[in-house]
Amino acid sequence: MNFSFIQKIRGESGLILVSPPFFYALLLLAFPLMGVFALSFWTQDYLELNRDFTLDNYREAWTGAIYQALMLRSLKISILVTLLTVVLAFPVAYYISFHVSPKKKPLWIFLITIPFWTSYLIRIFLWKVILGFNGVINGSLIGIGLIDEPLKFLLFNQGAIVVTLSHAWIPFAILPIYVALEKIDRSLLEASEDLGDGPVRRFMRVTLPLAMPGIIAATLIVFIPTIGDYVTPKLVGGPNGLLIANMIEVQFKKANNAPLGAALALSAMFVVSTIAMVFLWFNRKYLKQGQ
Amino acid sequence: MRTLFLVSIGLFGGFWLGTTATYAADEELVIFDWSAYNDPGFYQGYIEQHGDEPTFSFFGEEEEAFQKLRVGFEADISHPCSQSVSKWHEAGLLDPLQIDRIERWDQVNETMKEAFKIDGEYYLLPADWGTTALAYRADLVPEEDIQSLQVFVDPKYAGKVSIADNVDDAYALAYLATGVSDWTTVTESDLERASAWLREAHKNVRDYWQDGAGLSQLMASGEVLIAWAWNETPVVMQSEGHDVRMNRLTKEGSSTWFCGYVDLANGPNDDSKVYDFFNAWFEPRSVEYIVNEWGYGHGNQAEMDKLGSDILVEMGLGPINVPVLAQKPMNHTIREQMIAEFELIKAGF
Repeated sequence: MNFSFIQKIRGESGLILVSPPFFYALLLLAFPLMGVFALSFWTQDYLELNRDFTLDNYREAWTGAIYQALMLRSLKISILVTLLTVVLAFPVAYYISFHVSPKKKPLWIFLITIPFWTSYLIRIFLWKVILGFNGVINGSLIGIGLIDEPLKFLLFNQGAIVVTLSHAWIPFAILPIYVALEKIDRSLLEASEDLGDGPVRRFMRVTLPLAMPGIIAATLIVFIPTIGDYVTPKLVGGPNGLLIANMIEVQFKKANNAPLGAALALSAMFVVSTIAMVFLWFNRKYLKQGQ
Repeated sequence: MRTLFLVSIGLFGGFWLGTTATYAADEELVIFDWSAYNDPGFYQGYIEQHGDEPTFSFFGEEEEAFQKLRVGFEADISHPCSQSVSKWHEAGLLDPLQIDRIERWDQVNETMKEAFKIDGEYYLLPADWGTTALAYRADLVPEEDIQSLQVFVDPKYAGKVSIADNVDDAYALAYLATGVSDWTTVTESDLERASAWLREAHKNVRDYWQDGAGLSQLMASGEVLIAWAWNETPVVMQSEGHDVRMNRLTKEGSSTWFCGYVDLANGPNDDSKVYDFFNAWFEPRSVEYIVNEWGYGHGNQAEMDKLGSDILVEMGLGPINVPVLAQKPMNHTIREQMIAEFELIKAGF
């Protein structure tokens, strides 16, 4: 195939190619974010916005006991989801990269994306069917006589949120890890074996460090959005499963306090970004390799 | 180069247009309604008159609808419930009703329509209503346990109770349980007592139900035995063969909610078809339809009376002689406190 066409337009024309999406993103992401930022310094009395500058919303967001508790709970759940997702995703990515024949790899990748063929809501409801009082798990356990009463700790608690979210996000973790594993030069593995490494040492000293960029990407891809999820906790969280995003929704809607909602949203964003930055800093040595 | 630029602009533009195109029926009347209310049984008269259905756009809950209208979504008619009307009115979204154009205005439920008279003008055409009361699994809960709303705080039912995830229904329960049956006159101390009661009840709650279907699943499996539910839930569940009944006659009473149609101020069309739609809704056949098919009450009181008490009692809509907390509009300062408290309670504070 002749790629000279693409080579020619690289450079200045690349900018032109990228500019409509760029302005689109600017229009739909940056401007609303600026709006939310401005809103967080105002106050609202029922329907009227008062545009005098104040830091009260942030004071409330950071000192209110309920907001602290919800923020910590959200962080805890996001971290658990991220851990579970990455730990479960790695073996799958590893298997596809190292043990599936190259011909069948596209098929496997395709199979991993199948969950996306159904709506997220339907997947949540399926988890309710699996974990529910007369659901698949309870039904099977009662059927084989292990328990008499259905287990109640499966659904409507924070554990159910973790399970549901992990399932939803796992393809996003598998794909970057798989890409990183694919990029590993197989001759490096041979070299380490030649130099006397066993399978465990080879994995720890060669495979894992080289896969780190993928693991880091997977961690961030899962951690950052899960903290903002509010549908899952609403449907499977039960009485103690509300998260910070549910509170943000309430402030914008029923509570008639959009400025506080904005302050909470930006605070959550700040907390997540800070954690992400710290995480990146700790892993900085792995990210330099590509350069 | 320029071609590429144009192509990418074109692609984006294409997506944009593709997603905003409406597949409209009759575009001269746009109705912004709860999902599933585009049921021709409600407005058969309108279809016969104009030969086509009006255009519907849907919302999932009223606050979402409110925000959408406030940022400029244009519709002719919408369908808020009692607690939202004053908010929508104060935000300037509503036009007063021209009651001389509503053929059956004199048949409309007196209490409901008068509740929305603001400065001498009417703003809400009360269309549908229902009851919120104690629903229970009759095969698993003994009769004597459901004679009082205090069953919601009875440790015997810990983890077997569900309350609506909706501040109005939840507080209607709490007020009734603490002896208040008219919330238009509640005081701070009433609110405190109700909140304290709801905190107790929270300990028993398995899940706060979001919608009727979710509650039906919880009750069908036997996971939840006692619920604070809308009357449609027992009606639907009995037809599916579950022994779920409703007791509106607990000694503390039960509640009623109602919703209705409003004429939006920023409507894209003139009002002629708006009133055709209203009049179709208030025809006798629509009344019969909503009671029989949906298990809801209708705002046309005269026609409701004609249906006879048997069917109304069966649907959980008949008159009762215990306290009834009607969810009329209330003081919005108190309501905002209720909203804040309810969130605290649900989060475990």
